[in-house]
Amino acid sequence: MQYNGGSIVAMVGKNCVAIASDLRLGNQALTIATDFEKVFPITDRIYLGMAGLATDVLTLRERFRFRVNMYSIKEEREIEPKTLAQLVSSTLYERRFGPYFIEPIIAGLTDSSKGSQPFIASADLIGCLNFAKDFVVVGTAEDKLLGVAEGLWEPDLEPEDLFETISQTLLNAVDRDAFSGWGAVVHVITPDKVITRTLKGRMD
Amino acid sequence: MSHYTRTQSQQHPTQRQFNPYTENGGTILAIAGADFSVIAGDTRQSEGYSIQTRYAPKVFKLTDKAVLAVNGFAADGNMFVKKVKQRLEWYRHAHSKDMPLRSIARLIQTMLYAQRFFPYYVYNILGGIEEDGTGAVYSFDPVGSYEREACRAAGSAQSLVQPFLDNQIYFKNQTPVLGTSHPTHLPLRHVVQLVIDSFTSATERHIEVGDGVELYIILARGRGTQGLDSFKDVQELTPHAEGERLFVLRRELKKD
Amino acid sequence: MECQFGLSGNGYVLLAASTTAVRSIVKMKHDQDNIKVLGPQLIMSYSGEPGDTIQFAEYIERNIRLYQIRNFHALRPSSAASWLRRQLADSLRSRNPYAVNILLGGYDNATSKPHLYWMDYLGTLTNQPYAAQGYGSYFVLSLLDRYHNPEASLEEGLETLRRCIDEVEKRLVVSQGKYIVKVVDKDGVRVIEL
Repeated sequence: MQYNGGSIVAMVGKNCVAIASDLRLGNQALTIATDFEKVFPITDRIYLGMAGLATDVLTLRERFRFRVNMYSIKEEREIEPKTLAQLVSSTLYERRFGPYFIEPIIAGLTDSSKGSQPFIASADLIGCLNFAKDFVVVGTAEDKLLGVAEGLWEPDLEPEDLFETISQTLLNAVDRDAFSGWGAVVHVITPDKVITRTLKGRMD
Repeated sequence: MSHYTRTQSQQHPTQRQFNPYTENGGTILAIAGADFSVIAGDTRQSEGYSIQTRYAPKVFKLTDKAVLAVNGFAADGNMFVKKVKQRLEWYRHAHSKDMPLRSIARLIQTMLYAQRFFPYYVYNILGGIEEDGTGAVYSFDPVGSYEREACRAAGSAQSLVQPFLDNQIYFKNQTPVLGTSHPTHLPLRHVVQLVIDSFTSATERHIEVGDGVELYIILARGRGTQGLDSFKDVQELTPHAEGERLFVLRRELKKD
Repeated sequence: MECQFGLSGNGYVLLAASTTAVRSIVKMKHDQDNIKVLGPQLIMSYSGEPGDTIQFAEYIERNIRLYQIRNFHALRPSSAASWLRRQLADSLRSRNPYAVNILLGGYDNATSKPHLYWMDYLGTLTNQPYAAQGYGSYFVLSLLDRYHNPEASLEEGLETLRRCIDEVEKRLVVSQGKYIVKVVDKDGVRVIEL
């Protein structure tokens, strides 16, 4: 899990969710790339982040795209966040004894017919789900993220305030982690749009 | 008729090693203000998954203007505090005054380094008031490397608390409004609140932190108690209001 | 102990790979070409476990060629990189994984842009303006941080490449010997004598 480094955090706000990752790709202590995003759109209102072994991040991005497409074709509708969480969980548990070395985070809003409710979840590398009501973190700066998020987060943040909270949480946590950092990307998902911003960070 | 074979288990010489150290969890934290210093620690003492006691102080008054927090191996910590106190008493007898804070910091360095090859397994944070009346925090590693800082967290929840402090004390990753600048020192009330929040947060997410928190607050000579008045149950440890004043503030933390 | 690096400039990608084949303490070869030409505008340098490298590189080379024959056009660099990555990623979780690290350089005629991909034996893929692998990367990457210019002409790019080779020669304990250098641009692939 420390081979490539990287960290992700997701938070719930008032009728919105935010998910953010750092941009570092390393080979142990050597930084290979500073533009490696770990969060991917699944639908217009659901994002999936994966921290851990970079090759598995890429493999699973393709695998989840395939499985979500198959779901959409068979069901003739978009996938719901909690369904995606179960899909992710079962995909990971399929490899129970030879796992993909990633920890996923799902952030999204439920369908508008169900009130566009915020949803976040995380899982471990074999797919044990964690449905949190406030925030979830994964990656090499996990403990730092937990500490800062626990101090900064509060319920019912508006999109812009949630953006500030998640950005500050991520930046300050990765600045104390040698394996994460080199900038960040933040997505704030609201019922009518997704705000995506790339942040500059310390380069050390 | 029956016969059985006896398998002789091979006798290897076994080596046993006595491990003189253990880790007793907990977290300590100190923040320096312009004319005050706050040093805090939780009171849980644990070994592995067992709680040994819910009240084992990690923060100790050395003089009226110096407080030492010790974290790591509790037995070493207690012994170390005892020895520092003894050295400070000898100093008092020899010079008829308390040792200045920066001298205590240097004393701690030499005492720690004296044990370079069998160290006290302890992270120390020293807080207090310098001779010039400013609040100060000194942090040490187990073998005596030290540095004066504005704030420092140590112990099992250091990784949770320190980045939060970077943000809230040093204003890291925050840009001041154009034409203004970030304050270099925060007001006492604000600092005490941040310390309590830090411990509540650490308690929430770290199993070795909890039960209670003790905050020692040292005010510089002549400074009023403004900023402390809004807190309940603040107990003064100094007998009179001349000179530096030392207060302790205790708060319950979650016990799960 | 092999070393390979690559950089992109204005309309081209340069790849350089050391030509020395080492086994134990013996230099077995001084003229090994570790850069395969995969297509009219696609080149790949490789290093890693001897045996795996050649086996894997030839497998890639033939299959990319097969695609071109079947479809009457070559794979674009990004598609080739994705397919190559998948081969490595699948190999990683097989009984006998290939231990091969790769730099892939290509020129995309559709967008008229050069592409350089860094890939390790695990299947980690990333698109980079400049990249390096092997012990040389510890010296070369910082040099390229300083001197790389995405708008540089081929001559300027080669000058930067020479700097890199000289630095590795100067600071790395093991001499890398000669390098083979290939360039890919709108006109195709050429070998360049430094």
